[in-house]
Amino acid sequence: MRFVGESVTRVEDRRILTGRGHYIDDVRLPGMLHAAFLRSPFAHARITRMDTTEARNLPGVVAVLTGADIEAVTVPIQVMPQFPDFNSPVYQAMATDRVRFVGDPVAIVVAQSRYVAEDALELINVEYDPMRPVVSFEDAQDPNCPRIFDDIEGNVLYRSNSTHGDVDAAFAAADTVIHETFRQSRQANVPMETRGAVADFDPGSGDLTYYAATQSPQGCRFQLATYLNHPIDRVRVLSGDVGGGFGLKGPVHREDISLAAASRIVGRPIKWIEDRNEHLQASGHARDEQIEVEAAVTSDGRLLGLKARLLIDQGAFPCLPYAAVLFPNMIRDLLPGPYRFGAMSFEGLVLATNKCWNPPYRGPWEIETWVRERLMDVIAHRLGMDPADIRRANMFDGDEEDRSITGQHLAGITSRQSLERALDLAGYSAIRAAQELARREERLLGVGFATFLEAAPGPKENRVIPEDARVRLESNGHLLVMTPQGPHGQGHETTLAQIAADAMGLPLDHVRVVHGDTRQTPMNLIGTGGSRASTWASGSVMVTTRKVREKALGVAAAMMEIDASDLDIVDGMVVPAGAPSKAMPLSAIAMTAYLAPETLPPGTDHHLEAQETFTGDGVGGSGWSGGTHLCVVEIDRETGRVEIVRYVVVEDCGQIINPAIVEGQIRGGVAQGIAGVLYEKAAYDAEGQFLAGTFMDYLLPTATEIPSIEIDHLESVPVEGLDIRGVGEGGALVAPAALTNAIEDALVPLGVTINEQYLPPSRIMELTRMVPA
Amino acid sequence: MIPAGFDYRRAATLDEALSLLADGGDEAKLIAGGHSLLPLMKLRLAAPSMLIDIGRLGDLSFVRDGGDHVVVGALTRHRDVEIDQTLRDHVPLLAHVAGQVGDPQVRHRGTIGGSIAHGDPASDLPAACLALGASFKAVGPSGERTIDASDFFLGFLETALGPDEVLTEIIVPKATGAGWSFQKFNRRAQDWAIVGVAAVRGERTGISLINMGPTPVRASATEDALAGGASAAEAAARAAEGLEPPSDLNATPEYRVHLAQVLVRRALEEASAA
Repeated sequence: MRFVGESVTRVEDRRILTGRGHYIDDVRLPGMLHAAFLRSPFAHARITRMDTTEARNLPGVVAVLTGADIEAVTVPIQVMPQFPDFNSPVYQAMATDRVRFVGDPVAIVVAQSRYVAEDALELINVEYDPMRPVVSFEDAQDPNCPRIFDDIEGNVLYRSNSTHGDVDAAFAAADTVIHETFRQSRQANVPMETRGAVADFDPGSGDLTYYAATQSPQGCRFQLATYLNHPIDRVRVLSGDVGGGFGLKGPVHREDISLAAASRIVGRPIKWIEDRNEHLQASGHARDEQIEVEAAVTSDGRLLGLKARLLIDQGAFPCLPYAAVLFPNMIRDLLPGPYRFGAMSFEGLVLATNKCWNPPYRGPWEIETWVRERLMDVIAHRLGMDPADIRRANMFDGDEEDRSITGQHLAGITSRQSLERALDLAGYSAIRAAQELARREERLLGVGFATFLEAAPGPKENRVIPEDARVRLESNGHLLVMTPQGPHGQGHETTLAQIAADAMGLPLDHVRVVHGDTRQTPMNLIGTGGSRASTWASGSVMVTTRKVREKALGVAAAMMEIDASDLDIVDGMVVPAGAPSKAMPLSAIAMTAYLAPETLPPGTDHHLEAQETFTGDGVGGSGWSGGTHLCVVEIDRETGRVEIVRYVVVEDCGQIINPAIVEGQIRGGVAQGIAGVLYEKAAYDAEGQFLAGTFMDYLLPTATEIPSIEIDHLESVPVEGLDIRGVGEGGALVAPAALTNAIEDALVPLGVTINEQYLPPSRIMELTRMVPA
Repeated sequence: MIPAGFDYRRAATLDEALSLLADGGDEAKLIAGGHSLLPLMKLRLAAPSMLIDIGRLGDLSFVRDGGDHVVVGALTRHRDVEIDQTLRDHVPLLAHVAGQVGDPQVRHRGTIGGSIAHGDPASDLPAACLALGASFKAVGPSGERTIDASDFFLGFLETALGPDEVLTEIIVPKATGAGWSFQKFNRRAQDWAIVGVAAVRGERTGISLINMGPTPVRASATEDALAGGASAAEAAARAAEGLEPPSDLNATPEYRVHLAQVLVRRALEEASAA
């Protein structure tokens, strides 16, 4: 292998860094109009009257469409109605008679420019009759609160219950039971490029072309066809460079359906680029969850049993197509992590509230890591144990028979190695000694660490949706690789090219990765998400390229009259074993296959193209990515400011395709995890008003706020087989745990337990009782 | 986030700016760096019918040594205030504070006069001017007048500047060799202060607070305590007396009171160590 394992320069960088990328706002079509959405200022209200006359009469306005206009030409949305026990409400792409969160779209203005469209928004008169909003976990579980959807009884949309092992016996045998409720806050994905699209319905052909900023072009096409009731063969999605998503752009948004419907109504292309205010208010928020836990432990720190009750505030509408109902059972399965628990019971609820919906956000099940690793520290502190020791005492070693209490097969995990390595690298005992000194000076120094597992792709027995790639050797001997992935910053054009170049035997610049045109790429609804790129996309590119290589060697064998098994492809040349002077350029083989197939012996397969499915066959290794992060903080006891003094990462994602990209993924994830603790909160007030609509209120950390991050790779590679594992989500999964553990550790002298994740300086000062809450 | 429609006029001279202001009435607004006004317009919280651009009035961008004081032209950009040697020598607090505003892009665009005329209680420079005992020269149709900083900030985003007046000069008494400190507490380097303190201790003592009320304010109780010989800690404990600080996502009023006391103590310690 020549390229896999190397930090080759990203293929995308030259284009993007010189301003020659193509994002949605770069799409300009002849006759294109511009859209703006009017949004609800109320969390929950009936629409009693709407008058659009004045807006329609504004010069430059082409159409003003209400929820009713869109409802008339679209199919009502119902997400995952087949999911067992899920009360999935039916809803519309835009509000019709009722608004259900601040930002709910009620009308769309189509105009000659965004300027005119925004002026027209102010001329639409809507009368609202406010209703009692459902805002908190308590509201949503209160049967006296108004139901958000008339077709659903109450606001609990889903409830899952399960028991694993003998929980009663575990609690009866406990020396101590520790009871805590761990609460995290709404955090938003906030990609650099907001949502946006250009919908182009051609009344002549009946084709709908949708230029999307999406993580899944095929998924977007499928949903648009479904909800517009438009023949899917006449829906084409095109996606260029996408400026980030972190899960937000995997879903298809209600605005997407509304915009496409508007284009079909007016028969012209329409662009919609949301502004940052709309984005923060209405695109999506995640992490609004809590878990109440009771842990039964022995005095020497064995984990006998766990009772957990999860609440997820999914906002008003189930996200399309990734409803929050997907996550409770995932959280349940992963909650025990790499530790032995004797027994466990679990209840998980998904609640509807009058807030923005809940799209996937980098590791949507993150709360399992945060709560488990927080709990480990709380137990350690209560028992007077070192947090490292309680982990050591309960951690699986990754033996073949290792299986968590929820049934996850943990053979091959490297949690213990990562923990010990992180403690070593950081100099754990020296940090503890420094902490002793600091405490004598009344300084608050703390160290925290946390270990995570990421099912990327997960153990072989877990069923996962397979993925295809299509690969074509062109007549010049270059390789075209077509993937259903929707890269949005990860560098697929580089990593997939590294894999294909090695599998084929080509220079890197002879491989071109193509994505984002649904007429070329294979079908796959998921696209980029769930760390599938490095696992499933890489695997599909590898097996498909091997197939094309086999075909090319078949043609070469016929042309060179040498058995294919005696031929190799090296650096774009077909080389006979032992006779390098007789090598032929691959381009000559390909040219013959395309232009003169009649010169080949009858029966030679001259089609140098393949589409293959990767099912996970041939994968070695555990299927688990994972690692340990360690964090050292010092807290200013007078102001509550948390300074991250050190941040150490030890991770294992199997064989690394491109170390620079892997480390970028880790750093980005850690930054978002730190942000969830110290900076970012999509805050609502008690009436469901949204409070964080600008970057003055929603604080994204900048490079100044994120510490330097030391990274070490375990890179456990199996004896045989392919072992590339995902790395996209780990940083975001575990950083909140490592950081909050360090914060609690620093505050031990003040007797503070941290059971909430968002800890701005003001909150630290309340917890330390320096300032009244 | 697109402003409502407005007319735009660029003034070539101060006289032209004054006459445009007179013609435009209440609905006309001056614009220089645009860093305070444009965000309000984009959120449609402000919708002036006319913007009068005074950004090209180069005559108003200067720093001049006036003997016992330094005069700073209203259109001097933060970055130019930050690096000016006269200010660094004689009013180092002002130069330092200008270097703490926003981020480098803001500092190369925003102007000291714009910041002061906007009168945001969360801004750094108005508070620094209060601590330094600065005064402001305003020119209007009936001539020019000088307004003391302590009489200038009247209410939330409300100043003593008339709608037909242009702020032209910031006049700052020299504080050569005096102790000084600037304490700015925020969560991200580029943000407004959650609470800030500007302090000067020399021949005159001035302590002022950022974001502790509807206007930039003097910490009068602290100043009085110091005049009465109190220690830094004693004086700092009185930092928030009589103030009603705001509540927002960053801080409750209680937390702001606490921060004011901590930051004033730190400021006094640093200023006296100088």
